[in-house]
Amino acid sequence: MPVLTVENSEDYQKYISADKTTVALFAADWAEQCAQVTDVLKELDSILGDKLQFITLNAEKYPEISMKHQIEAVPTVIFFNKGSAVDRVDGVDVAAITSKSKKLAESASSAAATGQTLNDRLTALINKAPLMIFMKGDRNAPRCGFSKQLIAIINETNLPYETFDILSDEEVRQGLKTFSDWPTYPQVYVKGELIGGLDIIKELLANNELEASLKG
Amino acid sequence: MSKYTSKYLEDKLKEKLDATYVQVTDESDGCGGKFSAIIVSKAFEGKALLQKHRLVNTTLAEELKEIHAFSQKSYTPAEWEKVQQQ
Repeated sequence: MPVLTVENSEDYQKYISADKTTVALFAADWAEQCAQVTDVLKELDSILGDKLQFITLNAEKYPEISMKHQIEAVPTVIFFNKGSAVDRVDGVDVAAITSKSKKLAESASSAAATGQTLNDRLTALINKAPLMIFMKGDRNAPRCGFSKQLIAIINETNLPYETFDILSDEEVRQGLKTFSDWPTYPQVYVKGELIGGLDIIKELLANNELEASLKG
Repeated sequence: MSKYTSKYLEDKLKEKLDATYVQVTDESDGCGGKFSAIIVSKAFEGKALLQKHRLVNTTLAEELKEIHAFSQKSYTPAEWEKVQQQ
């Protein structure tokens, strides 16, 4: 497959949301270095094309997209996994573009090899402990006010629990929202069942139902 | 930053959930990123806590993509009466 040129913003959305990890070059016609990076992408496409797809778009033609990804200069390469930017390379850094592409291609093929889909992974994670908390940061260093309040309440119960830091894994962070149909973090699971977020935990606490709910 | 205001959210919740009482408070000093809400609606009757919250989340699915922090207390009319008596 050749390096695809983005012709309109619907194309762009379709490409970056694809199952295949996408390597997107933000370029401009007048910048010679961009042609150099395009050549690199063509080269990578010929060896990694079965695992990654490569696209190029005119950064100035799509100011909103460029702004969103804080493109300050061309060429910039952004790596997308199912719609989320997972990595980037600013400037003509052929070595970095190559090694990051290879790394992403490798993780794509290892996921395929083990047959572990995201859903399998999420199911395993929510069942990892009888009481599982998905939060920003960890119990010792919560990185958002809601997560912090939640940990304080759960600690009061003296029940054992495990946490998962969603800031450390963008795939889980986005995936679990869809998987559990719940848009925010923190999320509390008991025996693999979503109990709710902080509001619900507070309400259970107020109704004296918290401990029973957390024990499942 | 988001483009939403308390008034906008109140109106939407009232309309979509047929709520009898809605109070949305902007806790972000006006930047529109943090809200808390009290919602009273018959639509919550017979629903578990999680289901009530899910209903509100679904109603505001678009808005919640931009609102950074949203907390809710969702009551049926009977529950709300009890809360007020406390």
